[in-house]
Amino acid sequence: MFVKVKSAALSGLKGYIVDVEVDTHKGLPGQSIVGLPDAAVKESRDRVKAAVSNSGLDFPPGYFTINLAPADIKKEGPVYDLPIAVGILASHNIIRTTYLKDTIFLGELSLDGAVRPVAGVLPICIEAAKNGIKRAVVPKDNASEAALVNELEIIPAEDLLGLIGFLNGEAEVKPHTVDIEELFSKEPEYELDLSEVKGQFHAKRALEIAAAGGHNILMIGPPGSGKTMLAKRLPTIMPPLSLGEALEVTKLYSITGFLSSRNTLVTKRPFRSPHHTTSDIGIVGGGRLPRPGEVSLAHFGVLFLDEFPEFSRDVLEVLRQPLEENEVTICRALTSVTFPAEFMLVAAMNPCPCGNYGDRLRECQCPSWKIQRYLQKLSGPLLDRIDICIEVPRLGKEDLVSCPAGETSSQIRQRVSKARQRQRERFSASKISSNAKMTPKYIKKCCLLEKPAEELLKSAVLHLGMSGRAYDRVLKVALTVADLDGSQVIRESHIAEAVQYRNILIQKCSSII
Amino acid sequence: MSIQSKRLGDEGEQIAYDHLLSLGWQMIERNFHSSQGEVDIIAKDGQFLVFVEVKNYSFASFGTPVGAVRAAKKKSIIHAASTYLHKKNISNVYCRFDVISIYRNFEGKMNIELYKDAFQMN
Repeated sequence: MFVKVKSAALSGLKGYIVDVEVDTHKGLPGQSIVGLPDAAVKESRDRVKAAVSNSGLDFPPGYFTINLAPADIKKEGPVYDLPIAVGILASHNIIRTTYLKDTIFLGELSLDGAVRPVAGVLPICIEAAKNGIKRAVVPKDNASEAALVNELEIIPAEDLLGLIGFLNGEAEVKPHTVDIEELFSKEPEYELDLSEVKGQFHAKRALEIAAAGGHNILMIGPPGSGKTMLAKRLPTIMPPLSLGEALEVTKLYSITGFLSSRNTLVTKRPFRSPHHTTSDIGIVGGGRLPRPGEVSLAHFGVLFLDEFPEFSRDVLEVLRQPLEENEVTICRALTSVTFPAEFMLVAAMNPCPCGNYGDRLRECQCPSWKIQRYLQKLSGPLLDRIDICIEVPRLGKEDLVSCPAGETSSQIRQRVSKARQRQRERFSASKISSNAKMTPKYIKKCCLLEKPAEELLKSAVLHLGMSGRAYDRVLKVALTVADLDGSQVIRESHIAEAVQYRNILIQKCSSII
Repeated sequence: MSIQSKRLGDEGEQIAYDHLLSLGWQMIERNFHSSQGEVDIIAKDGQFLVFVEVKNYSFASFGTPVGAVRAAKKKSIIHAASTYLHKKNISNVYCRFDVISIYRNFEGKMNIELYKDAFQMN
């Protein structure tokens, strides 16, 4: 008998429906799986057999031909275990076929018949809903993320036997639902707070501007001055994710398998801090069937690169394109996929290899050629994409003991949210999300300068020798400062602050820019 | 094959044959040979046509006899089975590969175990 069970696969961030066709006939016992299966799919033959037997059922006799259609796309992973098992049992009338037509099945089988979680359930369910599918049978641990798709009835499957009972109408399984509004209304709680960082008011101000406009930021300072502490607290002052943004981030985490069964919707802004030995593929994503890299996992959040010059040159250079385009397209022989990558780059570095160059208290031991070589790891084009550069000096003894804590993250977040609100209104007609992502057309339209501000900018360009891109970046930062100030036009003080952030970069890295 | 192990095999087959008969199986053929393989016993168990491989041990071995039927042996049994089906023009029957293991323990007590659906075609 011939049975068709629906399942699905992933190509990048998009799911597509896969028909699992099972045909059985009498003769010598055996199974063959066709339709470009990879090793994990072929192995499902053994898992399915053991799972069925260990569920207390006789494995149906006969020869099974299992086809995964469309047959010209490679199938990977263990997600087909459950549909194959259902197909085999249905072909021998052990399962009724009433539900099979408009239901997709996803899940890996354990040898004892339990259904194990799989990756990518959310994007698959979104695609399934678009294809007119009404019901999704998913592993219990994935049920919450699948339930984010309102159009589908989500049946959580705990084990094979329970599922058979449900499909035959003998047992009732309550469809799993989650209240998106409730999940989303909860204000994200952070364990960290910016008030924990002593002093460094200059740096905190710069972080506030960076968070308000989505600007990339570079922090230069001696070891132990608080660069990492500051960076880790950046997400706490960023405005909360919108529902659409949260869903998109959740999708990315779903396909990488990072979602836990408790944490269904990612409501916190991601903070990714890859080690400096990470490869270029690890950063942008890749693999035979491409998976998202760190830039995509930091989507709508922060990508923090500590010890910036210690990253290999290749890694730093691959960042350039996603920084400009806000997405990465990965091409491989088999497929080409695009992952979103709209992140804020936060980089931290020492001013020289020993870390003490320019410090008030300790002497730098590095010969000048060593400093030169250290800084040369950063290319001009990359530094050009950094809007804000600040120095984070070491705190003096008195500061450490007596310095006041300053504002809490939530106080700053309120100001940042207001500035972001102004930007949303400004760019409501376009796809631009923040000042940092403005296109030249908008820069011309939105950056209205007062007369003295214009004069100041002119002289800054003259004296500092800025590139065209740097000029645009200064304007963008100035606009964010104006937004924080609640001002409609860019004043002289706004330009002065923006130029100052640029100036440090030029001074520090004069040898390369 | 030494005379000794041949005798052991023949003896085991006879014991297996009697055992299956006592289970109510309908015996069809013994020692069916094809060009590249052989099956010890072909019998009918209800709706199934069963190809049985007999493993007779002179001592209690470790591990299951299913494990003792290795890839080459499986291939030989499968070849013989498909040749048999072809020859007899049988297509509308569910088939099964079973393994029956026989050994005597130290007290000389006979131990017979039947493993149904021991392996499948790959």
